[in-house]
Amino acid sequence: MENNDKDKGADKAKEAKKAAMKELRVQRKTLIAAASKIMKEQKKDIKAIKNFLNGQTATIPEIAEGAELPKDKTLWYMATLKKYGQIVEGPKEGVFFKYFLSEADKSQEKAEV
Amino acid sequence: MVSTHIKKFDTLVVGGGIAGLQTALDLGDQGYKVAIVEKDASIGGKMIRLSKVFPTLDCASCITTPKMSAAAHHKNIPLFTYCNLTSLDHDTSNEALGVKAVIIQNPRYVDPDKCIGCRQCEYVCPIYVSDEEQGGLSATKAISIPFSNAIPQLPIMDIENCMLCGQCEKVCPTNAIDYFQKPEEFIIQAKTAIITTGFELLPKEDNFQYGSGKIPNVVDSLQMERLLAPHGPYNRVLRPSDGMEPDSIAYVQCAGSRDKSMGVPYCSRVCCMYAIKQAMLLSGSLPLADITIYYMDIRAFGKGYEQFYQNAKAMGIEFIKGKVARIDAGENGSAIVRYENQDGSGIVTANHDLVVLSMGMIPGWNPAPICPVSKDSDHFITSIKPKISPVLTNMNDFFVAGAAAGPKDIVDTVTESGSAAMEAAKFMSNSIMEN
Repeated sequence: MENNDKDKGADKAKEAKKAAMKELRVQRKTLIAAASKIMKEQKKDIKAIKNFLNGQTATIPEIAEGAELPKDKTLWYMATLKKYGQIVEGPKEGVFFKYFLSEADKSQEKAEV
Repeated sequence: MVSTHIKKFDTLVVGGGIAGLQTALDLGDQGYKVAIVEKDASIGGKMIRLSKVFPTLDCASCITTPKMSAAAHHKNIPLFTYCNLTSLDHDTSNEALGVKAVIIQNPRYVDPDKCIGCRQCEYVCPIYVSDEEQGGLSATKAISIPFSNAIPQLPIMDIENCMLCGQCEKVCPTNAIDYFQKPEEFIIQAKTAIITTGFELLPKEDNFQYGSGKIPNVVDSLQMERLLAPHGPYNRVLRPSDGMEPDSIAYVQCAGSRDKSMGVPYCSRVCCMYAIKQAMLLSGSLPLADITIYYMDIRAFGKGYEQFYQNAKAMGIEFIKGKVARIDAGENGSAIVRYENQDGSGIVTANHDLVVLSMGMIPGWNPAPICPVSKDSDHFITSIKPKISPVLTNMNDFFVAGAAAGPKDIVDTVTESGSAAMEAAKFMSNSIMEN
């Protein structure tokens, strides 16, 4: 009996949270749409970078050309992906450093496939 | 929002940079209860964002982090970070606690009592946003802890860039995510207030002659601090436009300071020394690079500073006396610097891979209309006795320390912070005796 009451209470709280989230999504509709658009673009750009780097090392200008992205934006992504452990800095070639996919990132991609 | 929550302290310190921390520690160690109110999500101010400090070349983080930690763990010093001050004035209704501040705690969308700072929310968040802690040169996530040694270790959710996808909430092991957090107002009553609101750099976007921030590879000095810091955006010095290791780097001094057209007629005092410091660090990390400093005068006023300058010259850093008139974008990401050389060789143009603007310092906080404390014509807070007690303001229970009163280096800031703590303590003990 007591357990049933507890379950009912939890269900009610869940429903209330769900309704509140729905309302919050309506309130932030414009922001959410803009953020989703940014996320999709970023996902596409990162995918292009990772596809290009698959099995090879490359410099920022090479990656930018291969992924068809501006060089500054490519560096911005590479610095960020390096910070989050998805990219590793390799040896220097001339005045540029080379980068490659991290092992952790490769195994994660394999798992996703 | 109705203020029902009142907190009482001996002293309110406005600003949690090195000046605020030092002031609070000096008072807290004497047994005074001190509240630090900070607008950023972490204490530490500008100093925690620096690479090293002049003239000793000590690691800035190694000096600041223990102070941050000491304040955070001090029984007499509670921290109120990510807060906005909406009013700060005398409270005429309260004789014992004559200072009243109304403060808004901004929502982090994370419950600080539940969060353990594990960063799982940050790792799963799918949106990258420009990381202003790294000068915008790399990205962080829409929910993230500001930087690795931030205090408190609490993430902030950027709702402007949040899709409400729920991934952070799902992964949080302590159910700390709270999408419904609202700003909360509270009141601090205190016997004294110490203003330690520091400085900001004049934005490079304001400098038309130097490209209004639109020329690639023209960065400001705080961005260069991040490039030189071990936990910087690239973990090394690279050109932001293409990742090239620069071979020729120039510093443009007085980029904003001593320039009436920029609204900053005064000398910012620290630019010469930090440019020399950065140049020395650069010649360590890029030994083959040519480093040039374009200057009007070198102002090496502090203990050991002149020797520091002479050391820089001996290391091969080139000092050219001449005010840079303009900077234009060159080929392949270079910047063209045009200046009149004071050695008589006339107008010269030079190409550099990377140019650093030593931007002027402006006040970090405008008290008006929040607080009636007086400002000088330079907009910094007025010291009523600049020679014998520079921490006194026109309000008898309000004190000022550090760059809030005018541009100054860390050495002077720390000294002045101790002085402000002493004046506040003196004021409080006098009040007790009078009563």
